[in-house]
Amino acid sequence: MEVLVKRAFSDGQLNFLVGVNILVLACAAVLTGADFLDPYNLQSMASQIPELGLLAIGVMLAMISGNGGIDLSGIALANLSAVVAGLLVPGLVAPDEAPQLYAVVFCAVALTVGLLGGLLNSVLIAIVGLTPILCTLGTQLLFTGMAVALTNGSGVRIDGAGFLETLGYENILNVPWSFALFAVIALAIGAWMRFSPNGVRLFLMGTNARAAQYAGVPRIRMLMMVYTISGVLASVAGIVIAARTSSAKWDYGSSYVLIAILIVVMAGVRPEGGYGRMICLVLSATALQILSSTFNFLDISNFFRDCAWGLLLLLFLASSRIDLRMFWSQAPHKGGTATRPPL
Amino acid sequence: MIRKAVWGGAALACVVGSSALYAQSESTIVTVVKVTGETWFKRMEEGVKEFDSNTPSIAASQTGPAKADAAQQQRLIEDLVAKKVTAIAVVPMDPSSLEGVFKRAMDRGIKVITHEADTQKNTLADIEAFDNKAFGARLNERMAKCMGESGKWTSFVGSLGSLTHVQWADGGAENAKKYSNMTLVDAKNESFNDANNAYQKAKEILRKHPDIKGFQGGSAIDVIGIGRAVEEAGLQDKTCVVGLGLPQDSGKYLESGAVDGIGFWDPKDAGIVMNKVAQLVVEGKPITDGMNLGVKGYEKVSVKKGAGAGVIITGEAWVDVDKSNYKQYPF
Repeated sequence: MEVLVKRAFSDGQLNFLVGVNILVLACAAVLTGADFLDPYNLQSMASQIPELGLLAIGVMLAMISGNGGIDLSGIALANLSAVVAGLLVPGLVAPDEAPQLYAVVFCAVALTVGLLGGLLNSVLIAIVGLTPILCTLGTQLLFTGMAVALTNGSGVRIDGAGFLETLGYENILNVPWSFALFAVIALAIGAWMRFSPNGVRLFLMGTNARAAQYAGVPRIRMLMMVYTISGVLASVAGIVIAARTSSAKWDYGSSYVLIAILIVVMAGVRPEGGYGRMICLVLSATALQILSSTFNFLDISNFFRDCAWGLLLLLFLASSRIDLRMFWSQAPHKGGTATRPPL
Repeated sequence: MIRKAVWGGAALACVVGSSALYAQSESTIVTVVKVTGETWFKRMEEGVKEFDSNTPSIAASQTGPAKADAAQQQRLIEDLVAKKVTAIAVVPMDPSSLEGVFKRAMDRGIKVITHEADTQKNTLADIEAFDNKAFGARLNERMAKCMGESGKWTSFVGSLGSLTHVQWADGGAENAKKYSNMTLVDAKNESFNDANNAYQKAKEILRKHPDIKGFQGGSAIDVIGIGRAVEEAGLQDKTCVVGLGLPQDSGKYLESGAVDGIGFWDPKDAGIVMNKVAQLVVEGKPITDGMNLGVKGYEKVSVKKGAGAGVIITGEAWVDVDKSNYKQYPF
């Protein structure tokens, strides 16, 4: 029993993130009054998480794969897939006559664009061998440019028909549908990472690419899988954005690239690859959202928010490098290496 | 774990500790601008503050994203809706991307007012400083007077896709028809909102039509580019340049005479009017055609049906500025 409890609390990062969430929520409730814990606000915050969360999952997978992996093209691909679907689908299916069919075709087109974009990234990185950061920076510009060219720079109006409306506006058991979708996807990918053979291979490859290669991990196939999943996730984010805003535009969320990376780093994903937990990612995203909403409730300047996020990021990074126990306790450290939590 | 808790505590103390407690008064109207910190919106904030201090029953404030990103603006509004402020007055980055959140706001009983968004469906009232055709005609009339109602003239637009710019150019062309001696040449040059492009285009036109006498600018930077070209050609006294422009940016060319006049609307007044209209809507008072909103340029507004259920309120709030009075406007 004691072993189980110890095991459950053995991940410092996880404990930390749980603590941060509770602390921020408590501070917000004290500072802004009961309004903050009103179900409407909790739902409103939950429905703001998926867009960023889905992009962050893509970045996390790329980072875990190691070798400087990252995906900067997420939001650009999300916008492109929503723009393409928004332009193409009303010509195929009339949203007023067959709303459900329209929504299905809309999602199918958007997901196809995401799949193709993800494949492009994965071919360039896994087969051609481009550096991920430069490759995805290039494809980011390509996707953005295509979305601008298709729309001449203006927004595309999207009919929130069928289940798109449900996804954008309605709740299931008091949980916004968009958040439920995000939770299911996070759970599925988390389980894939932890329990499937490919998930284990992903971590091995990120930890030591050469050793993994000699152990028979198919590097190209793994990388292709990672960047393709990331592309598809981006298009899911695009669908969620389209459902919630009833529009698609090339420059929507231009600040999301950096926030997605911030979420991933705060979740304790190792930038060198080989480590990262889905539960930490979700908690990191919720912490950031609660903090951000608190600022808006308190009417605090948005410049200060950027500053606060930067501060938070630096403190997170520093907290994993500096050991404060040195300063007040002479207790001997045990081993030091045993602090790495289980996957 | 302890060290993490300490670091986390430190981070949160910095973040939350620096925020002040706030007191909620009866009605709150929040003005949400495209981006915080731009001169234009700083000037608007002056108006919001003035309204706030003149109206004790209402707490009015202004906020906006730190980056000009439609997604950030939408998230900000999403939180204001959750906070349940009484009314929001928004200058949308991208009207279409805010339809969803505005609908949620109105479902929650929050009054939505917009500015510069006459295509917005989910708004109760959209405020436009002036009718675009009339503004174009106004600019053209000033240019025509300056050039003695005769000679060649041309017009500039930011891009042919900017609806308002094209309306200004068309309004100007219509006005110029009154004067039989004025000829429009190479109309609607696109500057793509870049002063350097405007400069290059203006130089080309000066080469092609050395006897040109008038330029009507569209985008706010057009007059700057045209002014530079005119100044280099030494034609300050022979040409008339009039267009949309900001006093501080165009001041240098107004001084030298390269630019003869600029027109704009004052964001401070727009800020006051947005809040006044929000107050009227909150108090359940009707907004009628020809009513006086008590701000210069909005004394006799025209009210017509908007894209959705709301109305579009149009003022005559252009401000004419030249060398003599541009210093009064600190933006």
